[in-house]
Amino acid sequence: MESLARGPIQDAMTDALARHGGRRAMVGGAESLTYGELGGRIEAAARRLRESLPAGSGEAPRHVGFCLGNRPEYVVLYFATLYAGHLPLLLDANFNTGEIESIRGDCGLDALVIESARVEGLAAVGNVGNAEPVAFADGVVLLPLARPGETPFAPRPSTQVCRFTSGSTGRPKCLEFSGDAVVSAARNWVLGTGMTGEDRTLCLAALSNGLAFNTSLLSTFLAGGELHFLKGVPLTRPVANRIVEAGITRLVAFPTLYRNFVAPGGPDRSAMASLRHAISAGAPLWPDVREEFRARYGLDISDYYGIAETGPCTFERHADHHAGLGEPLPGVEIRIAPGAEGEDGEGAGEVLVRTSSMASGYLNHPGMFEARLDADGFYHSGDRGRIAGGRLHLVGRTQDHINVAGRKIDPTEIVAVVSALDGVADAVAFPDEDLNREALVHLVVVAAREDAREELTRAEITAACRSRLAPYKVPGRISFIAEIPRTGIGKPRIAMLREQLNATAKGTMG
Amino acid sequence: MSEEDQLAMKKRVQRLVYIAAGGKIKEEELGHYGTDLRNLGLDSLGYLNLLEGLERTFGVVIDLDHEEDHSFLHTIDNIVRFVETQRGKAA
Repeated sequence: MESLARGPIQDAMTDALARHGGRRAMVGGAESLTYGELGGRIEAAARRLRESLPAGSGEAPRHVGFCLGNRPEYVVLYFATLYAGHLPLLLDANFNTGEIESIRGDCGLDALVIESARVEGLAAVGNVGNAEPVAFADGVVLLPLARPGETPFAPRPSTQVCRFTSGSTGRPKCLEFSGDAVVSAARNWVLGTGMTGEDRTLCLAALSNGLAFNTSLLSTFLAGGELHFLKGVPLTRPVANRIVEAGITRLVAFPTLYRNFVAPGGPDRSAMASLRHAISAGAPLWPDVREEFRARYGLDISDYYGIAETGPCTFERHADHHAGLGEPLPGVEIRIAPGAEGEDGEGAGEVLVRTSSMASGYLNHPGMFEARLDADGFYHSGDRGRIAGGRLHLVGRTQDHINVAGRKIDPTEIVAVVSALDGVADAVAFPDEDLNREALVHLVVVAAREDAREELTRAEITAACRSRLAPYKVPGRISFIAEIPRTGIGKPRIAMLREQLNATAKGTMG
Repeated sequence: MSEEDQLAMKKRVQRLVYIAAGGKIKEEELGHYGTDLRNLGLDSLGYLNLLEGLERTFGVVIDLDHEEDHSFLHTIDNIVRFVETQRGKAA
């Protein structure tokens, strides 16, 4: 790695590659790489990146957006980008063209790492038509983009990685992380969860997500373990097959997968024999799924707590402890907000977190992150909880965001899209559940015209949302009502609204 | 397969899609078996649930990596044809 760029992440990775050279590092599809082979692939890719994407004036790093599903080439190019002296920005692979374009405008994207099949679909993103994609392995290309002039925001000099959270009005918020913060998150995860070189982690969560990024990517390599990806759709059959075939010890997945495991006809106990940790995040895990999983497989699902802005916060290491979200990881301090607006009579209040893996700020929303830090540098999470027995227990949210599969959605963004439509007099969006208990956005609309046909209006609204919002923000349920109950200051009374809708539904059914 | 059996199978798939979508798609919307399920709002999570349901209900193996064309999942008609073919191969 001589003559390539250095920084905290590269230094930690170079050390890991040297220490574990002959061990197997990564498996995905038919591909298997040792640490030595991985290092060679990273180095070669870094040199190609430098050739095809030279540093800007004054050796300014190029901004490389990753918009790609999990696979070995993602890992190779992520580290290669760092070794090339560039800045990786890890986008949600489900971001639509509008969101990618907004990131390009806000943060400046010099290139996108995508599947070659997506190049045509991204024609709306700046100057794609003139760019010549650079092909890498496994159908992945680097697609150079033209910068849209001066971008309004410049990353901090210490920033080594950017990740995104859902923003309002179609502008994802870009979180900046220093190399020290990224390395700290990985080291603390290794230390706090007892990860070793014998661990084989099957990561099914997207690497752009904090869960996968912090629990699987650098941490696995620092420990000298193996990182496995599954090609294709994460159905329980191939997941169970991979666990058995590879002797997977850690499964990093999302609640829906665990629910499917315990559904009738799911894999039997032998499928999980090698597993030591089943980790769930992204959305709250259903308590009955956790219990059924324990009963069927004899293993607890670790429902860890992490925040995009702070990194991993807690983990339960004790198999015989079944309540709460575990104890704080090394480098993590948790407080419950004191005072009249914080802690309630039962010890619950807003969860405040300070970690050594905190983001530095939002690149494209200056001051917004800093505004959520208290005088001691603790981050206001927006979650309500309490500490009991040294463990964190969450009891709810203090904010109005809707959490759909781990993506926080600002309901005002949806309401803004819908309110702009002809025939809509009022609207509100709030969290609800479908019949499978999956979180969804429930949109309630007041039609301006009494004669508006509900079916037509629902179709119109859905079509408008699909054209202007990311797929996961499109309301899963749309209801119509004569008037939305509101407080004196105009805030919607969601509890009252739910009661009205339930009463209407019961009336319709009965 | 007789027309009657085929209709019964379509109704089973219709029910699987309804469950997979968590009720977000109305059952009557699924009654037109040639309608593209993506246009009805079946999202990636819904497809994940549907694939699980199809594998467990009909005992078929669905490996999307080995199927270049995924249009067999776009309508209930297509799904039924796919399942029939898979079962024929297995027999």
